[in-house]
Amino acid sequence: MIVCVAVVGHQNNPVFLQSFTDSDDALKLHHIVHCSLDVIDERVNNPKKSGPTLNDTFLGVLYPMDDCKVYGYLTNTNVKFIMVTTDTDLKDGDLRSFFKDLHSAYVDAVSNPFHIPGKKITSKSFAERVSSIVKSFGSGSTF
Amino acid sequence: MAPLPPRSGDAVFANIERVNAELFSLTYGAIVRQLLTDLEEVDEVNKQLDQMGYNIGVRLIDEFLAKSNVSRCADFKETADVIAKVGFKMFLGVTASVTNWDADGMSCSLILEDNPLVDFVELPDTCQGLYYCNILSGVIRGALEMVSMKTEVTWIRDMLHGDDAYELQVKLLKQVPEEYPYKDDD
Repeated sequence: MIVCVAVVGHQNNPVFLQSFTDSDDALKLHHIVHCSLDVIDERVNNPKKSGPTLNDTFLGVLYPMDDCKVYGYLTNTNVKFIMVTTDTDLKDGDLRSFFKDLHSAYVDAVSNPFHIPGKKITSKSFAERVSSIVKSFGSGSTF
Repeated sequence: MAPLPPRSGDAVFANIERVNAELFSLTYGAIVRQLLTDLEEVDEVNKQLDQMGYNIGVRLIDEFLAKSNVSRCADFKETADVIAKVGFKMFLGVTASVTNWDADGMSCSLILEDNPLVDFVELPDTCQGLYYCNILSGVIRGALEMVSMKTEVTWIRDMLHGDDAYELQVKLLKQVPEEYPYKDDD
């Protein structure tokens, strides 16, 4: 179950945050997203020696918590997509395609001439697309 | 040489130079954004877009007539069909459909399902009165004025305002006969 999806701009400013459960409050999710930003910075600044090639956008599990995992994805413009989920067993391929869909929805939202880069994404259709990506992701892995 | 037969919209579109659709949409979006910043009033921006369209239309008509080889239209109905099928296809790459003819054949609706100008666009709440594609109404008005038809073009439906398609109403006000700028020699 995906708990929340967040998009963070290149200056670590929040651009979009959407939670998909009723119980968790926004503050806790903000906190989780903030902590994962630190992990991303760490990964970016200290690439492992046997690490992936330069072009790797998908960062994988950022850090596991008691009940949920946090996944990250970094674009070449330093825009970060963060996904918090309570699912324990997720395939790498599914995650990569999830983030790819999220990335293309983000690109379309940002191409709106009325969107101000750096400000929050106010586009309703982006929110709807994210919801439908999340829904189809959830249903894809229920077996 | 015998006059060339009129070419269909697809044939003209296939031979004409093209531009990347994203570049086109983003450029147009930048124009609208800049107009909004400069003029601040949505109505002013609508007027300015129409005026820009008019200036484009009066020049575009010559290119259109040269490249498409359409023959003289017999009546306004044919004109509307040519605009929808050949004109839109040639310049925007999409065809429009013509419907809603009124009783005396003086006004019709052009319906566009697909509009490359508005890819990625979502109107913010502050600009709800904006006719984003108003440049198109100016283009049609300007082009038709150059072929002696005074028209009035208005938006009936607009997808950015929540409707399901783009509908332009083109109303022929009058046919202006050609005026010669010089008198016949007395």
